[in-house]
Amino acid sequence: MNTLGGQVVFRVGPLPITDTVLTTWGIVLLLALAAFVLSRRLRATPGRWQSAVEGALAAAEAAVAEVLPASAVRRVLPFVATLWLFILVANLAGLVPGLHAPTRDLSATSALALLVFASTHWYGIRAQGWRVYLRHYVEPSPILLPFHVVSEFTRTLALAVRLFGNMMSLEMAALLVLLIAGFLVPVPLLMLHVVEAVVQAYIFGMLALIYIAGALESPESPSSEEPS
Amino acid sequence: MTFDWTTFLLEILNFLVLVWILKRFLYAPVLAVLDARRQRLLDEAAKAEQLQRQAGELKTGYESRLAQWEKEREGLRQSLDGELEQARAAGMEKLKQSLADAEAKARARTDALATAREQALVREAATEAYGAAAAMLGRLASPALTARIADVFAEDLAALPEADRAVLRRAAAALEAGASAEIAMAHDLDEGSRGRVVAALTAACDRTLPVVFREVPELLAGLRATVGECLLQANLSDELAFFRRHG
Repeated sequence: MNTLGGQVVFRVGPLPITDTVLTTWGIVLLLALAAFVLSRRLRATPGRWQSAVEGALAAAEAAVAEVLPASAVRRVLPFVATLWLFILVANLAGLVPGLHAPTRDLSATSALALLVFASTHWYGIRAQGWRVYLRHYVEPSPILLPFHVVSEFTRTLALAVRLFGNMMSLEMAALLVLLIAGFLVPVPLLMLHVVEAVVQAYIFGMLALIYIAGALESPESPSSEEPS
Repeated sequence: MTFDWTTFLLEILNFLVLVWILKRFLYAPVLAVLDARRQRLLDEAAKAEQLQRQAGELKTGYESRLAQWEKEREGLRQSLDGELEQARAAGMEKLKQSLADAEAKARARTDALATAREQALVREAATEAYGAAAAMLGRLASPALTARIADVFAEDLAALPEADRAVLRRAAAALEAGASAEIAMAHDLDEGSRGRVVAALTAACDRTLPVVFREVPELLAGLRATVGECLLQANLSDELAFFRRHG
Protein backbone atom coordinates (compact mmCIF):
# COMPACT_ATOMS: atom_id res chain seq x y z
CA MET A 1 0.00 0.00 0.00
CA ASN A 2 1.41 3.32 -1.10
CA THR A 3 0.50 5.96 1.50
CA LEU A 4 2.80 8.64 0.15
CA GLY A 5 0.62 9.43 -2.84
CA GLY A 6 -2.79 8.92 -4.28
CA GLN A 7 -3.84 5.54 -5.50
CA VAL A 8 -5.60 5.27 -8.80
CA VAL A 9 -9.15 4.14 -8.17
CA PHE A 10 -10.42 4.20 -11.71
CA ARG A 11 -9.70 5.84 -14.99
CA VAL A 12 -11.75 8.16 -17.16
CA GLY A 13 -10.26 7.46 -20.54
CA PRO A 14 -6.58 8.18 -20.23
CA LEU A 15 -7.03 10.15 -17.01
CA PRO A 16 -6.35 8.28 -13.78
CA ILE A 17 -8.68 9.24 -10.93
CA THR A 18 -6.93 8.82 -7.60
CA ASP A 19 -8.44 8.46 -4.14
CA THR A 20 -7.15 11.98 -3.43
CA VAL A 21 -9.41 13.36 -6.17
CA LEU A 22 -12.30 11.21 -5.07
CA THR A 23 -11.96 12.39 -1.45
CA THR A 24 -11.68 15.96 -2.66
CA TRP A 25 -14.85 15.57 -4.67
CA GLY A 26 -16.56 14.20 -1.62
CA ILE A 27 -15.36 17.15 0.46
CA VAL A 28 -16.45 19.60 -2.20
CA LEU A 29 -19.84 17.92 -2.41
CA LEU A 30 -20.21 17.88 1.36
CA LEU A 31 -19.28 21.56 1.73
CA ALA A 32 -21.47 22.55 -1.21
CA LEU A 33 -24.44 20.72 0.26
CA ALA A 34 -23.84 22.23 3.67
CA ALA A 35 -23.53 25.72 2.17
CA PHE A 36 -26.66 25.22 0.09
CA VAL A 37 -28.72 23.96 3.01
CA LEU A 38 -27.46 26.69 5.30
CA SER A 39 -28.07 29.46 2.78
CA ARG A 40 -31.71 28.28 2.46
CA ARG A 41 -32.23 28.67 6.21
CA LEU A 42 -30.68 32.04 6.91
CA ARG A 43 -32.78 34.12 9.30
CA ALA A 44 -32.44 37.59 10.76
CA THR A 45 -32.44 35.95 14.19
CA PRO A 46 -29.82 33.22 13.81
CA GLY A 47 -30.15 29.69 15.08
CA ARG A 48 -27.37 27.56 16.52
CA TRP A 49 -25.79 26.48 13.19
CA GLN A 50 -26.20 29.88 11.61
CA SER A 51 -24.59 31.51 14.65
CA ALA A 52 -21.63 29.14 14.38
CA VAL A 53 -21.15 29.79 10.68
CA GLU A 54 -21.59 33.54 11.11
CA GLY A 55 -19.09 33.52 13.97
CA ALA A 56 -16.54 31.56 11.95
CA LEU A 57 -16.96 33.78 8.91
CA ALA A 58 -16.81 36.95 11.02
CA ALA A 59 -13.60 35.66 12.66
CA ALA A 60 -12.11 34.92 9.25
CA GLU A 61 -13.10 38.35 8.01
CA ALA A 62 -11.55 39.97 11.09
CA ALA A 63 -8.33 38.00 10.56
CA VAL A 64 -8.17 39.07 6.93
CA ALA A 65 -9.01 42.66 7.85
CA GLU A 66 -6.11 42.77 10.29
CA VAL A 67 -3.69 42.14 7.45
CA LEU A 68 -5.26 43.58 4.33
CA PRO A 69 -6.55 47.04 3.46
CA ALA A 70 -10.28 47.39 4.08
CA SER A 71 -11.00 47.74 0.38
CA ALA A 72 -9.47 44.33 -0.38
CA VAL A 73 -10.96 42.32 2.45
CA ARG A 74 -14.16 41.22 0.75
CA ARG A 75 -12.24 40.50 -2.48
CA VAL A 76 -9.70 38.19 -0.87
CA LEU A 77 -11.89 36.70 1.87
CA PRO A 78 -13.54 33.96 -0.28
CA PHE A 79 -10.19 32.58 -1.43
CA VAL A 80 -8.51 32.60 1.98
CA ALA A 81 -11.58 31.37 3.85
CA THR A 82 -11.98 28.52 1.36
CA LEU A 83 -8.34 27.64 1.84
CA TRP A 84 -8.86 27.44 5.61
CA LEU A 85 -12.08 25.48 5.34
CA PHE A 86 -10.95 23.06 2.63
CA ILE A 87 -7.57 22.29 4.17
CA LEU A 88 -9.14 21.84 7.62
CA VAL A 89 -11.74 19.38 6.29
CA ALA A 90 -9.21 17.68 4.05
CA ASN A 91 -6.81 17.26 6.97
CA LEU A 92 -9.56 15.89 9.21
CA ALA A 93 -10.72 13.50 6.47
CA GLY A 94 -7.76 11.33 7.36
CA LEU A 95 -9.46 10.51 10.65
CA VAL A 96 -12.33 8.77 8.84
CA PRO A 97 -11.60 5.05 8.56
CA GLY A 98 -10.89 4.00 4.97
CA LEU A 99 -10.12 7.54 3.84
CA HIS A 100 -6.85 9.38 3.42
CA ALA A 101 -6.37 13.10 3.83
CA PRO A 102 -6.02 14.66 0.35
CA THR A 103 -3.35 16.92 1.86
CA ARG A 104 -1.03 13.95 2.40
CA ASP A 105 -0.73 13.91 -1.42
CA LEU A 106 1.96 16.25 -2.80
CA SER A 107 -0.08 16.66 -5.98
CA ALA A 108 -2.91 18.20 -3.97
CA THR A 109 -0.76 20.44 -1.78
CA SER A 110 1.20 21.57 -4.85
CA ALA A 111 -2.07 22.47 -6.53
CA LEU A 112 -3.06 24.56 -3.51
CA ALA A 113 0.38 26.19 -3.37
CA LEU A 114 0.19 26.99 -7.06
CA LEU A 115 -3.19 28.56 -6.55
CA VAL A 116 -1.76 30.72 -3.74
CA PHE A 117 1.13 31.68 -6.02
CA ALA A 118 -1.23 32.61 -8.84
CA SER A 119 -3.70 34.41 -6.59
CA THR A 120 -0.92 36.50 -5.07
CA HIS A 121 0.03 37.89 -8.44
CA TRP A 122 -3.60 38.11 -9.54
CA TYR A 123 -4.64 40.26 -6.60
CA GLY A 124 -1.43 42.32 -6.78
CA ILE A 125 -1.80 43.08 -10.47
CA ARG A 126 -5.52 43.84 -10.08
CA ALA A 127 -4.82 46.22 -7.25
CA GLN A 128 -1.77 48.03 -8.63
CA GLY A 129 -1.50 47.30 -12.33
CA TRP A 130 1.28 45.52 -14.20
CA ARG A 131 3.90 48.18 -14.01
CA VAL A 132 3.61 49.08 -10.38
CA TYR A 133 3.29 45.47 -9.33
CA LEU A 134 6.31 44.24 -11.26
CA ARG A 135 8.37 47.18 -10.13
CA HIS A 136 8.49 45.82 -6.58
CA TYR A 137 10.74 43.01 -7.85
CA VAL A 138 13.47 45.54 -8.55
CA GLU A 139 13.00 47.44 -5.34
CA PRO A 140 14.98 48.71 -3.57
CA SER A 141 17.65 47.60 -6.09
CA PRO A 142 17.53 45.63 -9.37
CA ILE A 143 20.22 43.40 -7.94
CA LEU A 144 17.56 41.87 -5.72
CA LEU A 145 15.46 40.70 -8.68
CA PRO A 146 16.88 37.14 -8.72
CA PHE A 147 16.37 36.83 -5.02
CA HIS A 148 12.76 37.99 -5.33
CA VAL A 149 12.11 35.49 -8.11
CA VAL A 150 13.75 32.66 -6.21
CA SER A 151 11.80 33.68 -3.12
CA GLU A 152 8.54 33.45 -5.03
CA PHE A 153 9.21 29.88 -6.09
CA THR A 154 10.77 28.68 -2.87
CA ARG A 155 7.98 29.95 -0.66
CA THR A 156 5.43 28.32 -2.94
CA LEU A 157 7.39 25.11 -2.81
CA ALA A 158 7.66 25.47 0.96
CA LEU A 159 3.90 25.87 1.23
CA ALA A 160 3.29 22.68 -0.69
CA VAL A 161 5.96 20.62 1.02
CA ARG A 162 5.16 21.86 4.54
CA LEU A 163 1.54 20.83 4.38
CA PHE A 164 2.32 17.62 2.55
CA GLY A 165 5.13 16.68 4.92
CA ASN A 166 3.19 17.34 8.08
CA MET A 167 0.06 15.48 7.05
CA MET A 168 1.90 12.63 5.39
CA SER A 169 4.16 12.10 8.38
CA LEU A 170 1.20 12.27 10.74
CA GLU A 171 -0.70 9.61 8.81
CA MET A 172 2.43 7.51 8.50
CA ALA A 173 3.08 7.73 12.24
CA ALA A 174 -0.52 6.86 13.03
CA LEU A 175 -0.35 3.87 10.68
CA LEU A 176 2.89 2.63 12.18
CA VAL A 177 1.61 2.98 15.75
CA LEU A 178 -1.58 1.23 14.80
CA LEU A 179 0.37 -1.61 13.22
CA ILE A 180 2.73 -1.98 16.16
CA ALA A 181 0.63 -1.24 19.23
CA GLY A 182 -2.85 -2.19 18.21
CA PHE A 183 -6.29 -1.09 19.25
CA LEU A 184 -6.83 2.22 21.19
CA VAL A 185 -3.13 3.01 21.44
CA PRO A 186 -3.16 5.46 18.45
CA VAL A 187 -6.00 7.50 20.06
CA PRO A 188 -3.65 10.16 21.50
CA LEU A 189 -2.00 10.34 18.11
CA LEU A 190 -5.39 10.84 16.49
CA MET A 191 -6.06 13.72 18.91
CA LEU A 192 -2.72 15.16 17.87
CA HIS A 193 -3.95 14.72 14.31
CA VAL A 194 -6.92 16.98 15.04
CA VAL A 195 -4.69 19.66 16.51
CA GLU A 196 -2.22 19.34 13.67
CA ALA A 197 -5.04 19.58 11.13
CA VAL A 198 -6.25 22.84 12.61
CA VAL A 199 -2.77 24.28 12.95
CA GLN A 200 -1.68 23.37 9.43
CA ALA A 201 -4.85 24.79 7.92
CA TYR A 202 -4.36 28.00 9.87
CA ILE A 203 -0.68 28.27 8.90
CA PHE A 204 -1.36 27.62 5.21
CA GLY A 205 -4.14 30.17 5.08
CA MET A 206 -2.24 32.79 7.08
CA LEU A 207 0.84 32.43 4.88
CA ALA A 208 -1.32 32.78 1.78
CA LEU A 209 -2.91 35.85 3.35
CA ILE A 210 0.47 37.38 4.15
CA TYR A 211 1.73 36.73 0.62
CA ILE A 212 -1.36 38.38 -0.83
CA ALA A 213 -0.98 41.31 1.55
CA GLY A 214 2.64 41.69 0.42
CA ALA A 215 1.49 41.75 -3.18
CA LEU A 216 -1.14 44.38 -2.41
CA GLU A 217 1.36 46.75 -0.80
CA SER A 218 2.44 49.51 -3.17
CA PRO A 219 6.25 49.88 -3.43
CA GLU A 220 5.88 53.65 -3.73
CA SER A 221 3.78 54.15 -0.63
CA PRO A 222 4.01 51.06 1.49
CA SER A 223 1.89 52.53 4.24
CA SER A 224 -0.63 54.22 1.97
CA GLU A 225 -3.28 51.68 2.89
CA GLU A 226 -3.31 50.86 6.53
CA PRO A 227 -4.65 47.45 7.51
CA SER A 228 -8.02 47.88 9.08
CA MET B 1 6.08 9.97 -2.92
CA THR B 2 4.65 10.39 -6.42
CA PHE B 3 3.41 13.42 -8.27
CA ASP B 4 0.39 12.96 -10.46
CA TRP B 5 -0.34 15.72 -12.94
CA THR B 6 -3.94 14.65 -13.37
CA THR B 7 -4.52 14.86 -9.65
CA PHE B 8 -2.69 18.19 -9.59
CA LEU B 9 -4.89 19.69 -12.29
CA LEU B 10 -8.11 18.19 -10.93
CA GLU B 11 -7.28 19.52 -7.48
CA ILE B 12 -6.84 23.00 -8.92
CA LEU B 13 -10.16 22.67 -10.71
CA ASN B 14 -11.86 21.22 -7.64
CA PHE B 15 -10.63 24.05 -5.44
CA LEU B 16 -11.70 26.74 -7.88
CA VAL B 17 -15.13 25.12 -8.12
CA LEU B 18 -15.30 24.98 -4.34
CA VAL B 19 -14.36 28.65 -4.07
CA TRP B 20 -17.11 29.55 -6.50
CA ILE B 21 -19.69 27.38 -4.76
CA LEU B 22 -18.86 28.66 -1.32
CA LYS B 23 -18.73 32.25 -2.51
CA ARG B 24 -22.10 31.82 -4.21
CA PHE B 25 -23.93 29.80 -1.58
CA LEU B 26 -22.18 30.55 1.71
CA TYR B 27 -20.08 33.67 1.87
CA ALA B 28 -22.33 36.00 -0.09
CA PRO B 29 -25.59 35.21 1.77
CA VAL B 30 -23.98 34.98 5.20
CA LEU B 31 -22.02 38.19 4.67
CA ALA B 32 -25.21 39.84 3.44
CA VAL B 33 -26.96 38.77 6.62
CA LEU B 34 -24.03 40.04 8.68
CA ASP B 35 -23.97 43.33 6.79
CA ALA B 36 -27.71 43.74 7.19
CA ARG B 37 -27.40 43.07 10.90
CA ARG B 38 -24.49 45.48 11.25
CA GLN B 39 -26.41 48.08 9.27
CA ARG B 40 -29.45 47.50 11.42
CA LEU B 41 -27.34 47.85 14.54
CA LEU B 42 -25.80 51.03 13.15
CA ASP B 43 -29.23 52.34 12.26
CA GLU B 44 -30.57 51.47 15.68
CA ALA B 45 -27.51 52.99 17.31
CA ALA B 46 -28.00 56.13 15.23
CA LYS B 47 -31.68 56.09 16.08
CA ALA B 48 -30.88 55.59 19.75
CA GLU B 49 -28.36 58.40 19.58
CA GLN B 50 -30.93 60.59 17.88
CA LEU B 51 -33.50 59.63 20.49
CA GLN B 52 -30.97 60.38 23.19
CA ARG B 53 -30.25 63.74 21.60
CA GLN B 54 -33.96 64.46 21.30
CA ALA B 55 -34.42 63.36 24.89
CA GLY B 56 -31.63 65.71 25.90
CA GLU B 57 -33.23 68.53 23.95
CA LEU B 58 -36.60 67.72 25.48
CA LYS B 59 -35.02 67.60 28.90
CA THR B 60 -33.37 70.94 28.31
CA GLY B 61 -36.64 72.33 27.01
CA TYR B 62 -38.56 70.97 29.96
CA GLU B 63 -36.00 72.35 32.38
CA SER B 64 -36.23 75.71 30.65
CA ARG B 65 -40.01 75.58 30.78
CA LEU B 66 -39.91 74.53 34.40
CA ALA B 67 -37.62 77.44 35.17
CA GLN B 68 -39.96 79.73 33.24
CA TRP B 69 -42.94 78.32 35.08
CA GLU B 70 -41.12 78.74 38.35
CA LYS B 71 -40.40 82.34 37.44
CA GLU B 72 -43.99 82.94 36.38
CA ARG B 73 -45.25 81.24 39.53
CA GLU B 74 -42.98 83.41 41.64
CA GLY B 75 -44.22 86.50 39.80
CA LEU B 76 -47.84 85.44 40.21
CA ARG B 77 -47.25 84.64 43.84
CA GLN B 78 -45.74 88.08 44.40
CA SER B 79 -48.64 89.67 42.52
CA LEU B 80 -51.09 87.65 44.57
CA ASP B 81 -49.28 88.63 47.74
CA GLY B 82 -49.57 92.27 46.67
CA GLU B 83 -53.25 91.89 45.89
CA LEU B 84 -53.81 90.10 49.16
CA GLU B 85 -51.95 92.85 50.99
CA GLN B 86 -54.05 95.48 49.23
CA ALA B 87 -57.24 93.55 49.93
CA ARG B 88 -56.19 93.09 53.53
CA ALA B 89 -55.40 96.80 53.85
CA ALA B 90 -58.70 97.70 52.20
CA GLY B 91 -60.51 95.24 54.46
CA MET B 92 -58.76 96.64 57.48
CA GLU B 93 -59.61 100.17 56.38
CA LYS B 94 -63.20 99.17 55.75
CA LEU B 95 -63.30 97.41 59.09
CA LYS B 96 -61.86 100.44 60.80
CA GLN B 97 -64.40 102.63 59.04
CA SER B 98 -67.16 100.23 59.99
CA LEU B 99 -65.93 100.16 63.56
CA ALA B 100 -65.75 103.95 63.58
CA ASP B 101 -69.27 104.14 62.17
CA ALA B 102 -70.50 101.62 64.66
CA GLU B 103 -68.73 103.50 67.40
CA ALA B 104 -70.23 106.79 66.22
CA LYS B 105 -73.63 105.16 66.02
CA ALA B 106 -73.20 103.68 69.45
CA ARG B 107 -71.97 107.00 70.75
CA ALA B 108 -74.96 108.78 69.14
CA ARG B 109 -77.29 106.12 70.46
CA THR B 110 -75.72 106.47 73.88
CA ASP B 111 -75.96 110.24 73.65
CA ALA B 112 -79.56 109.98 72.51
CA LEU B 113 -80.30 107.56 75.30
CA ALA B 114 -78.53 109.82 77.76
CA THR B 115 -80.40 112.82 76.40
CA ALA B 116 -83.69 110.97 76.50
CA ARG B 117 -82.90 109.73 79.97
CA GLU B 118 -81.91 113.24 80.99
CA GLN B 119 -85.08 114.59 79.48
CA ALA B 120 -87.07 111.89 81.18
CA LEU B 121 -85.32 112.74 84.41
CA VAL B 122 -86.03 116.40 83.79
CA ARG B 123 -89.64 115.61 83.05
CA GLU B 124 -89.83 113.37 86.05
CA ALA B 125 -88.17 116.09 88.12
CA ALA B 126 -90.55 118.67 86.69
CA THR B 127 -93.48 116.38 87.39
CA GLU B 128 -92.27 115.78 90.88
CA ALA B 129 -91.57 119.52 91.27
CA TYR B 130 -95.00 120.28 89.91
CA GLY B 131 -96.50 117.79 92.27
CA ALA B 132 -94.51 119.23 95.15
CA ALA B 133 -95.31 122.82 94.11
CA ALA B 134 -98.94 121.95 93.61
CA ALA B 135 -99.05 120.30 97.02
CA MET B 136 -97.33 123.24 98.64
CA LEU B 137 -99.43 125.82 96.73
CA GLY B 138 -102.51 123.76 97.50
CA ARG B 139 -101.69 124.13 101.16
CA LEU B 140 -101.04 127.87 100.67
CA ALA B 141 -104.19 128.43 98.60
CA SER B 142 -106.90 130.37 100.40
CA PRO B 143 -109.82 132.67 99.62
CA ALA B 144 -107.63 135.65 100.55
CA LEU B 145 -105.07 134.55 97.93
CA THR B 146 -107.86 134.19 95.38
CA ALA B 147 -109.09 137.70 96.25
CA ARG B 148 -105.58 139.05 96.01
CA ILE B 149 -105.07 137.36 92.60
CA ALA B 150 -108.41 138.84 91.48
CA ASP B 151 -107.11 142.29 92.36
CA VAL B 152 -103.86 141.61 90.49
CA PHE B 153 -105.98 140.31 87.53
CA ALA B 154 -107.89 143.56 87.51
CA GLU B 155 -104.70 145.59 87.60
CA ASP B 156 -103.14 143.59 84.76
CA LEU B 157 -106.27 143.99 82.63
CA ALA B 158 -105.99 147.70 83.08
CA ALA B 159 -102.36 147.59 81.97
CA LEU B 160 -103.00 145.17 79.07
CA PRO B 161 -101.08 146.08 75.86
CA GLU B 162 -103.15 147.60 73.10
CA ALA B 163 -102.68 144.62 70.79
CA ASP B 164 -103.97 142.21 73.43
CA ARG B 165 -106.72 144.59 74.27
CA ALA B 166 -107.79 144.68 70.59
CA VAL B 167 -107.90 140.93 70.44
CA LEU B 168 -109.97 140.88 73.59
CA ARG B 169 -112.35 143.46 72.19
CA ARG B 170 -112.84 141.48 69.00
CA ALA B 171 -113.59 138.35 71.05
CA ALA B 172 -116.06 140.28 73.13
CA ALA B 173 -117.68 141.75 70.04
CA ALA B 174 -117.96 138.30 68.54
CA LEU B 175 -120.05 137.07 71.41
CA GLU B 176 -123.56 136.23 70.31
CA ALA B 177 -126.43 138.02 71.77
CA GLY B 178 -127.35 136.59 75.11
CA ALA B 179 -123.92 134.98 75.59
CA SER B 180 -121.88 135.91 78.62
CA ALA B 181 -118.35 135.90 79.80
CA GLU B 182 -117.50 133.23 82.31
CA ILE B 183 -115.23 133.64 85.28
CA ALA B 184 -114.17 130.48 87.08
CA MET B 185 -112.77 131.05 90.55
CA ALA B 186 -111.06 128.76 93.01
CA HIS B 187 -112.83 130.37 96.00
CA ASP B 188 -115.93 132.36 96.15
CA LEU B 189 -115.10 136.08 95.84
CA ASP B 190 -116.82 138.80 97.71
CA GLU B 191 -118.91 141.35 95.91
CA GLY B 192 -116.17 143.99 95.99
CA SER B 193 -113.66 141.73 94.32
CA ARG B 194 -116.27 140.53 91.81
CA GLY B 195 -117.13 144.19 91.06
CA ARG B 196 -113.50 145.15 90.46
CA VAL B 197 -112.97 142.23 88.19
CA VAL B 198 -116.12 142.92 86.16
CA ALA B 199 -115.16 146.59 85.95
CA ALA B 200 -111.68 145.84 84.72
CA LEU B 201 -113.05 143.36 82.19
CA THR B 202 -115.64 145.85 80.95
CA ALA B 203 -112.94 148.49 80.58
CA ALA B 204 -110.65 146.13 78.70
CA CYS B 205 -113.40 144.97 76.34
CA ASP B 206 -114.70 148.45 76.01
CA ARG B 207 -118.26 147.23 76.56
CA THR B 208 -120.47 145.87 79.27
CA LEU B 209 -120.62 142.11 79.28
CA PRO B 210 -122.90 139.80 81.25
CA VAL B 211 -120.58 137.84 83.55
CA VAL B 212 -121.25 134.49 85.15
CA PHE B 213 -119.15 133.46 88.20
CA ARG B 214 -118.56 129.80 88.85
CA GLU B 215 -116.48 128.17 91.57
CA VAL B 216 -113.86 125.64 90.38
CA PRO B 217 -111.67 124.30 93.24
CA GLU B 218 -109.17 122.66 90.81
CA LEU B 219 -107.79 126.12 90.10
CA LEU B 220 -106.21 126.07 93.62
CA ALA B 221 -106.22 129.85 93.88
CA GLY B 222 -107.13 132.70 91.52
CA LEU B 223 -109.51 132.76 88.57
CA ARG B 224 -109.90 132.05 84.87
CA ALA B 225 -111.89 134.35 82.60
CA THR B 226 -113.34 133.15 79.30
CA VAL B 227 -114.50 135.84 76.81
CA GLY B 228 -115.54 134.18 73.62
CA GLU B 229 -112.48 132.70 72.14
CA CYS B 230 -110.15 134.48 74.57
CA LEU B 231 -108.99 132.77 77.72
CA LEU B 232 -107.50 134.88 80.50
CA GLN B 233 -105.71 132.76 83.11
CA ALA B 234 -104.76 134.04 86.55
CA ASN B 235 -104.69 131.00 88.81
CA LEU B 236 -102.08 128.68 90.31
CA SER B 237 -103.26 125.56 88.55
CA ASP B 238 -102.83 127.01 85.05
CA GLU B 239 -99.47 128.50 85.99
CA LEU B 240 -98.25 125.14 87.26
CA ALA B 241 -99.49 123.47 84.09
CA PHE B 242 -97.65 126.06 82.03
CA PHE B 243 -94.43 125.44 83.88
CA ARG B 244 -94.90 121.73 83.58
CA ARG B 245 -95.44 121.97 79.82
CA HIS B 246 -92.44 124.20 79.30
CA GLY B 247 -90.22 122.82 82.05
